[in-house]
Amino acid sequence: MFGMNRSATSVAAQLEECWYVALPDHVIDLQWAPNGRQLLAVTVEGLVVAIEDLGERAQFRSVGQHQLGANAVAWSRDGQLAASGGQDGCVCIWSGGFDSAPLTLRSQASWVSRVAFSPRRDVLAWSAGKSLQLWNAVNGEVFYQSAEHDSTIADVAWNPDGSAVAVVAYNGVTLHVPGKSSSPRKYTWKGSSLTLAWSPDAKYIATGDQDSTIHFWHVKSGKDARMSGFPTKVLELTWHHSSRWLVTGGGSAIVLWDCSGAGPAGRRPHLWEAGLGKITQVAFQPQGDYLASTDHEGILLLWHLADRQEPIAACKLSAAGTGLRWSPDGQRLAIGQANGVVVVFELQPEKAPV
Amino acid sequence: MTDTANSPTADHKVPVTVLTGFLGAGKTTLLNRILCQQHGKRIAVIENEFGEIGVDNDLVIGAEEEIFEMNNGCICCTVRGDLIRILGNLMKRRDRFDYILIETTGMADPGPVAQTFFMDDEIGSQMSLDGVVTLVDAKHVLLHIEDSDEVKEQIAFADVILLNKTDLVTSAELDALEARIHAMNAAARIHRTRDAAVDIDKILNLGGFDLSRALETDPKFLEPEYPFEWSGLYDLAAGKYTWIFQPGPDPTMGAFCTPAVHASEAGMRERVESAVRAFSSPEHECPPGSECRVDDRFLQVGLEGEALRYTWLIDQPGAYVWFTEHHPDEFAAVLTDEQGQALEPLVSREYKPDHEHDEEVTSVGIATPGDLDLPKFQNWLRELLATHGPDIFRMKGILAFQNSNQRYVFQGVHMLFDGREDRPWGDEPRRNSLIFIGRNLNREALNQGFAACLA
Repeated sequence: MFGMNRSATSVAAQLEECWYVALPDHVIDLQWAPNGRQLLAVTVEGLVVAIEDLGERAQFRSVGQHQLGANAVAWSRDGQLAASGGQDGCVCIWSGGFDSAPLTLRSQASWVSRVAFSPRRDVLAWSAGKSLQLWNAVNGEVFYQSAEHDSTIADVAWNPDGSAVAVVAYNGVTLHVPGKSSSPRKYTWKGSSLTLAWSPDAKYIATGDQDSTIHFWHVKSGKDARMSGFPTKVLELTWHHSSRWLVTGGGSAIVLWDCSGAGPAGRRPHLWEAGLGKITQVAFQPQGDYLASTDHEGILLLWHLADRQEPIAACKLSAAGTGLRWSPDGQRLAIGQANGVVVVFELQPEKAPV
Repeated sequence: MTDTANSPTADHKVPVTVLTGFLGAGKTTLLNRILCQQHGKRIAVIENEFGEIGVDNDLVIGAEEEIFEMNNGCICCTVRGDLIRILGNLMKRRDRFDYILIETTGMADPGPVAQTFFMDDEIGSQMSLDGVVTLVDAKHVLLHIEDSDEVKEQIAFADVILLNKTDLVTSAELDALEARIHAMNAAARIHRTRDAAVDIDKILNLGGFDLSRALETDPKFLEPEYPFEWSGLYDLAAGKYTWIFQPGPDPTMGAFCTPAVHASEAGMRERVESAVRAFSSPEHECPPGSECRVDDRFLQVGLEGEALRYTWLIDQPGAYVWFTEHHPDEFAAVLTDEQGQALEPLVSREYKPDHEHDEEVTSVGIATPGDLDLPKFQNWLRELLATHGPDIFRMKGILAFQNSNQRYVFQGVHMLFDGREDRPWGDEPRRNSLIFIGRNLNREALNQGFAACLA
């Protein structure tokens, strides 16, 4: 681990490794509990692991298993509920910690790609193959099952006020509003979107697409801007808390889109040359201006919006980063890796040069 | 943290075999055979229907076909979304297997499956399409082959074709079917199987081996158009034999008789080339009642009249092969011995004759010595694929470019093209071999276009 020697820098910080744990295989998803003291992680082979962050060290234990493999995890807003979804078509829901067996909801579909709790209510959304399902934690009922989308759903995300949930599949974005009798709103594009992210002000839905493009959907008007030029399909999206900036991967460079004013259309994005490896994860700090990225070569980079020329810190990981999550307070960074390692770093102000 | 690099860029691609074939052709039987054999490979299987098979220690994942069109529905850019998702997931557990098998549904178009490996760079960088294996139900395929695009495409896309259920048809039917399939896809290796029993090495890990093998055969073999419809081998004692014909659809027929070294199918096959040559030599009129000898002459046999007889004088005992322009059955023709006993050929074969060659799906092979001019070739291929991409299912080739000491090998699916420099030519003569498999291909235009690219 090393900080970079810099001249005339406006921002300086280091990443200090706190601890790591080694899970048996590829970490496919991980999420911080809202209190920032626990992580829930799943591996591609289906292991569900609860990790307790004890500051300088960590304890972990296996709490569940998805046959055939796991895909995703999520926490409810108050941290009382946690959920995981897998290739067995099951969603497991734990309440009040991991001491008792989870509630398991089975669907006919073979693939639960995402689980997502509403940021406002105790409602869990998940994708069961091509259908979106909503579950009410208060009465334990599945109260919404959407019609089938045009392919297996690739991603699911609630809007910031928790009133609607957007999914992406083949042929674009569909916005479902629970409790409304009107049919879901379609943002149609003949192509395959793989991931989506709401701008924090809910003005835009950004999607990363199979054909090496991204889309900015203006949620109200339904108009879209399609941005091409990426070397590869785009799976990495993260919004700055101001909603002005979207950062995307889709190659070996970090691409920064300015969405202020009339939006990103017609503006050239900023490119931050990161290194040789293809970017695998990008994540803005929840309330701050730091951005973290990982790549295929296992390089972790820390960037800052105020200084866009080069990274302000870099670390070599033992494998490619597969999940990159800031703790809710923005002070810790958890990284899941392709070799099963989960490592946590702490953001520290720059120390005086030796 | 340890320093053990788990480099995802390690230059080792996982080979993938795609298994196609109509419902009932034997895909599940073959899959079970592959999984049960002691081959030392750990195979991940993507099944079109989940739960049909399941073997301990193997990774079996169910998939339901999801077709993704890209770029406004261009068929060349159509991929399989379900495979992108599942293969992407499998790449995250690469240490679990050494090989991937994809079973498609009977009606699946192999194009989008193959294109997925070209169009998705994440998959293309970590996996390679080793081969498409197509199972053909020898008994029932003829019911579908005429009007099913799927069957034609499955045959056209294949690197290996298993003619399965051979126990349910006669060897003559098999020969005819094999000739027909070969005319559609001359680059595929054809194996005859029963209960899908085949050596695993013939279908997995074909690699570049099969490509060179297919292309290094005699170029004539790439264009199996025969001027005759039938041949039959008889093992005869010396003596006098009589050919008897009843009225049929044609007034005359070309015929050629030649001695064979072995009284076997192989012995007959060895004479095919000389027969092709004989059929292009000047014809020798042969009116009814003639006495004929085995003398290398190409006969034009008159067939107008009732119960026409021709006498054959055989001086030496041995195996003799007759090649005929039309099928003898069309004239209820028989060969009889001196006692008037009708003789059955020891082996016989039907050929797909060129004058009936109306297959929509065909192969065009080009084999020519000389060096290619790279810019000319690129321009020609770009133009060709832009105009005929949808009709060209597959292409494969080994090329000699001017100013390069290395063989250039390539393969393509529709408009997608993947090529690289291979080993040096060394002592081997520099030559170009390529094959196009597609629908409504213009053989002449392809040959001319390619010839114009020579330096």
